[in-house]
Amino acid sequence: MINRWLLALALLLAVLSWPPQWYPLSVRLKLTEVFGAAEFRPLPGSITNPDTTAEKFCPPDPEGWREKQLIEGLEIRNSAPCIPDNPFAVAAFVRGTNNIEQATLLKSGLTADAVEKGRDLDGDGDPDEIHIRLEVAELNGGSALSRDPVTRYSIAPGIEPGLWVFAPKLAGMAVENFESSQARRALRLPSPVIRVEQGDEIRITLENSHYMPHTLHLHGADHGFVDRTGEGNDGVPFTSEVPVMPGNARTYELQPRHAGTMFYHCHVQPHVHVMMGLQGLFIIEPNQPDNWLQTMNIGAGLVRWPSQSLREEFDHEYDLHFLDLDQQLSERIQQENDPRLITRSMHREYDITDSTPDFFTVNGRSFPYTFQESLVVGDRNERIRLHVVNGGAKGIALHTHGHKFSVTHRDGVVVPATAVAPQDVVWLATSQRVDLSLEMKNDGLHAYGPGIWPYHDHQYNGVTTDGIGPGGNISAIVYAEYLEKSGWPRTQGVSWNKFFTEAYYRREVPVWESYAPGLFSDTGIDGRFLLRIIGLALSAGILGALLLLVVVRRVSRR
Amino acid sequence: MKAGSSRRKSYSLLRLLAVLLGLISVTAVGQQTVDHTGHEGHSMEVKPAGMVMNENHTELPRDCAGISRDYAFTIRAGTEYAKQIPGTIFGMSQHELRVEPCSRIEITFNNEDQVRHQWMVHGLPTYLYPGGMFHIEVSGGNSQQGTFIVPGEDRTYLVHCDLAQHMEKGMRGQLVVGQGSGDLWGVPGVSNGFYRSGYLPAYTRWLILFALLLAFTGSLLLFRNR
Repeated sequence: MINRWLLALALLLAVLSWPPQWYPLSVRLKLTEVFGAAEFRPLPGSITNPDTTAEKFCPPDPEGWREKQLIEGLEIRNSAPCIPDNPFAVAAFVRGTNNIEQATLLKSGLTADAVEKGRDLDGDGDPDEIHIRLEVAELNGGSALSRDPVTRYSIAPGIEPGLWVFAPKLAGMAVENFESSQARRALRLPSPVIRVEQGDEIRITLENSHYMPHTLHLHGADHGFVDRTGEGNDGVPFTSEVPVMPGNARTYELQPRHAGTMFYHCHVQPHVHVMMGLQGLFIIEPNQPDNWLQTMNIGAGLVRWPSQSLREEFDHEYDLHFLDLDQQLSERIQQENDPRLITRSMHREYDITDSTPDFFTVNGRSFPYTFQESLVVGDRNERIRLHVVNGGAKGIALHTHGHKFSVTHRDGVVVPATAVAPQDVVWLATSQRVDLSLEMKNDGLHAYGPGIWPYHDHQYNGVTTDGIGPGGNISAIVYAEYLEKSGWPRTQGVSWNKFFTEAYYRREVPVWESYAPGLFSDTGIDGRFLLRIIGLALSAGILGALLLLVVVRRVSRR
Repeated sequence: MKAGSSRRKSYSLLRLLAVLLGLISVTAVGQQTVDHTGHEGHSMEVKPAGMVMNENHTELPRDCAGISRDYAFTIRAGTEYAKQIPGTIFGMSQHELRVEPCSRIEITFNNEDQVRHQWMVHGLPTYLYPGGMFHIEVSGGNSQQGTFIVPGEDRTYLVHCDLAQHMEKGMRGQLVVGQGSGDLWGVPGVSNGFYRSGYLPAYTRWLILFALLLAFTGSLLLFRNR
């Protein structure tokens, strides 16, 4: 008896709940003939998104690191953008960490043997024996104690891909302080730019402080296959040497005969290790008298102590390192803590032939963080040198707004003068380098006058962060008059608040919300439709139970 | 050491959780204080062999009337000491030190690797140790010695190497003063990691399916026979 009532109830519920828009077309047309069009019921309203607090666009600079300053007798140039390089580290890299005051060394954050500079072999007033030490650091790695990444480094708000970098040899902790899990400022993507002089006797000791084997390969830089002792010097495990194991070190040697913008990277399982970030610019400057060089440029970007030949030809020098990252690779170091499981996951389970890049960085950050540190700042009629590398897996179509630059060198080799012409897109294949000359001459060809002129990869995935734009490797050429005192560009147009929230890159914020509130917002919910669907689900549940009961009874009767 | 640690484990689970929660809250609060070079305001000198930070031979903690006892430990660090503990890469010869309250401890830290290592204690009173830490850093193949004095309260302090991933991959230890305040998680040879990977064979799903079917058909047969 109850069963029959239940059946009736279920059927009634189904009929009442069935959404009219799901009736068969013929039924709907029939109903229209009889009752006419349905009465107007407004579509759900717009939801105004709760205000998410934006991060500070331009962090303060309490130590005054942005200012021009005299350290160790060196006039370190000013750094216009919000986040500058540590000028004491710049001075230490120029003089050598073995040749400076203890106070400077402490402020540089480096160890005493990070970059040692020795004798002047050719008697031209600058040191020619250079000993560089590199460590290997993991950022946003895993832990058996926490689900959050450790030694954290954000490339954009809330974006913390697992990374491996070559790092300068820093004294002290990897984090800002004990209470923080944020990586200290000098520990970051990209691996530091290394700058040496043509003809110098250079030794680079790779101190493998990481938990996996690594090597150093000097891509495009003149180096012997073996060093003086006959030990492998090319960094390739299957042709030259057994990799440097965790806790071990090896010294690579070179005395480059040619100047040019080169590249260095790990050559162990390169499709994984290079794409995790173990790669950096390696710039060989022409030999000049009194040519003290800033041996490392942490985080790339502005060179605060340019070489002699640069000073003769250009007003400013910037290093630009482009790199794309695959989230499906970078997250693997966060999923396990046991190095054996991480090794299997990264080198056997990960398949790069099925991969697509998700994050696109220039100098280790994506938009909007790029505007804090990798702005190319100049002024009317100035000439700017850009050293550019594409370290990513995909090609880059580097485009500048408001300017046409000239490619003067490709892969460290000068381009014949007859082949140099202004252009506004340059294609960079994977691991390719170009040296660009940017003339801020307002002649309608080289430049169109002062402003905030974006530069970015014109391949469209490159201007997003996992498909959310603006993101990726967008930064800008900014004229000094368009820069606030703090270093933040005086942009016109839309508010940047949403770009400085994690929610935006989690796809939670409608893209035009800030200046068209409500118009293109998220919509409210159609409660009536939702109720009908729940009603249908309830009736289906009752009918199912009744059916099961009938079947069970039939079976047990037999 | 092993027997002792398993005995302690039985009563200290809650205290461990409390310590862990404390650590998490400290981590969340402390992000405003930024020290870009990693060591401002500490007493030390950076030498090629390394550095010792916040050394203290004589200053007594407020709750100590005098030095109760002198200890001298030699800690050796390197990949060699990780080989006995599966899943670690970097190691220390000793992951746990037990000392009396108000004692003076001399640490000789020998780095047998060719890369930098650290022996760092956290949570010491900040009026004696800036940042609450005592820290020895040694470059590859070198040794450094440093001395510090612990306070009078029973407490377990975190000891670790703060190079990126060195603590996670083995260089984590604890300094137990007096009775301590319960073991920390994830100290190799003393306590488990808070999270642990599966370590299951690839055929686990088939085993589960087999067990399910076995139980199902077994129960069915039993049911029938009654």
